[in-house]
Amino acid sequence: MRQTRRSVLVYMGCVSGLPLMLAAGRGFCADTRVEETAAKLRALVADVHGARVHGRSYRAQFPKEEKPAVLTRLLCSSLQLGAQGIADLDNDALLSILDSRVREEFGSGDTVQVNGWVLARSEARLCALCK
Amino acid sequence: MFVDARTLSQRFVIDADVCIIGAGAAGITLARDLSGGSRKIALFESGNFDFDADTQKLYAGEVVQQAYIPLDRDRLRYFGGSTNHWQGSCRPFDALDLADWPFGPEVLEPYYRRAHDICQLGPYTFDPADWSTAEARPLELSQGSGLKSGVFQYSPPTRFGTVYRNDLAAAAGVTVYLNANLVQIESDESASNVTGVEIACLDGKRGRVRAKNYVLAAGGIENARLLLNANRVQKSGLGNAFDLVGRYFMDHPFVPAAATIFADDASPEMHFYDQHVVRGRIVEGYFCASDEVRRREKLPPFAIGIRSANAGIDAGVGNIKLPAMLRHLMSDSLDRKVTYYLPRILDRLETPVTWVYNKMWRKPPGHFITAYSCGPDPDPQSRVTLIDTVDALGTRMCRLAWRLPADFEQSMHRAHELLAQELGRSGIGRLRIESSSATGYDPMQDLGNGSHHMGTTRMHDDPHHGVVNADCRVHGISNLFIGGSAVFPSYACDDPTLTIVALALRLSDHLKSSVS
Repeated sequence: MRQTRRSVLVYMGCVSGLPLMLAAGRGFCADTRVEETAAKLRALVADVHGARVHGRSYRAQFPKEEKPAVLTRLLCSSLQLGAQGIADLDNDALLSILDSRVREEFGSGDTVQVNGWVLARSEARLCALCK
Repeated sequence: MFVDARTLSQRFVIDADVCIIGAGAAGITLARDLSGGSRKIALFESGNFDFDADTQKLYAGEVVQQAYIPLDRDRLRYFGGSTNHWQGSCRPFDALDLADWPFGPEVLEPYYRRAHDICQLGPYTFDPADWSTAEARPLELSQGSGLKSGVFQYSPPTRFGTVYRNDLAAAAGVTVYLNANLVQIESDESASNVTGVEIACLDGKRGRVRAKNYVLAAGGIENARLLLNANRVQKSGLGNAFDLVGRYFMDHPFVPAAATIFADDASPEMHFYDQHVVRGRIVEGYFCASDEVRRREKLPPFAIGIRSANAGIDAGVGNIKLPAMLRHLMSDSLDRKVTYYLPRILDRLETPVTWVYNKMWRKPPGHFITAYSCGPDPDPQSRVTLIDTVDALGTRMCRLAWRLPADFEQSMHRAHELLAQELGRSGIGRLRIESSSATGYDPMQDLGNGSHHMGTTRMHDDPHHGVVNADCRVHGISNLFIGGSAVFPSYACDDPTLTIVALALRLSDHLKSSVS
């Protein structure tokens, strides 16, 4: 249910210090970069199997977000981070940002229902990223 | 003084200043409060001091439309009435709750304070902050959340028949007649004045009561049945010139497991919304809609409580003390309300949470379920009518048609969505709304009723819209009054007992001035 720090798939990215990317999709120069970012985001999920279940439901509800690249860009946008920004952060820092964003989305009512769960948009997308 | 009506002579005649029918919370409060002067008070109770199956059967009737606990199991027909099995939850109605009433909270407030003592409650405060502790504190809600926290105080609960029995035995001017059932209300030819009531015992004994004033305090269904059966002069029933008696029946729909919450067991916020003890008093927090959201989204008054699924819900029913026979009799309904749904929910608890982030749960989350109850708008099609079948005393039985609004589930889901957003915003947990399509469990299959019968003789200044006026007097009849929750023109999500007692005290004041 809960993942220890050691078991977290830590994505040690590139050098830090690059500016945050604010717009969706910016900073993704190549498919490999998208995949790297997606992998780092997926690594935040403690139980990928469980996430897949909800992810399937989310993608069925929002078919325009079917592709991992789209989901990754949308997540980066909501986190206000570009690929490099995400790469620069360790998992704890990234989780902290994600946690803040998720709380904001709950607070503003930006939620979706997935298999009955009322989830913040970003966490639902994170599940959807776990194919 | 107590008198077993079966020991009276056949065709007995009793004279009184005030004749009260029904010795439940309203009737007992009224009799106690009216005592002590020169007034002669006669209080009539259908049952005896304890449960009797034959007497209880007099409550039997038909139920159509929405499923409902069988009518002879829903209420208790012996001295003390249904306070013999109430759980004790209390809260005064607020201004919004009383919006459709002919008076505001300032009128009821002094009576609420007195009722508070009668119901043996703690300090007169319902501010959640006053009932907060380190272990159980209200969630800090954001301004735009659309929710607010409330708190119920729990009476021990006061069994009126037990607690106030000695008072009534010693009360000057009060005679309590047991095993005495009202079977007919007699009026003059214009149906504007009650001239007497007929009383019957199950052993065949019959008699008559003549009084200056009469108060029906027999419960929300029974009051309507008695009025509809009083049709010798007014063919549609006494006080029913505008076809309102029996209509607008209200109860609290209750969904025992509308949603599942996964949250940290150690969060004090997760324990405020279940029964907990503060300074020796049992209280229970609840979530409800803010006034603004309630108006804007037209949500009914609702209360969402939180129960630990790990601990079970024994705490919620531990204070129900029933005579053994009645416990057996009612076991089906209790099981249905209390334990039936738990295994269904627990079966489905294992997997869905495991996707949640590793950071969010420092330890395995606690499992909670929500309990949802609400007070939908009064509906004239929810009603009590008579059927041709008669009971053991020859009085026509009744049929209850209880109807829920079409948007009931939608409102329930919206209420939980608001709660889910606050739980997520505060980082306390996540909520899953149960539904057959999304989670495989349909909470509506366990929908129950709160056993709170209200509204069938609703209060309104205009006789076209209400059966009784603001003094609880039946429109058009000079000396017939209604006590109890039957007069509520609208309701909140609260147990009605505290308000029943407050209204009885108010009626008592009115009768004191009227009788004297």
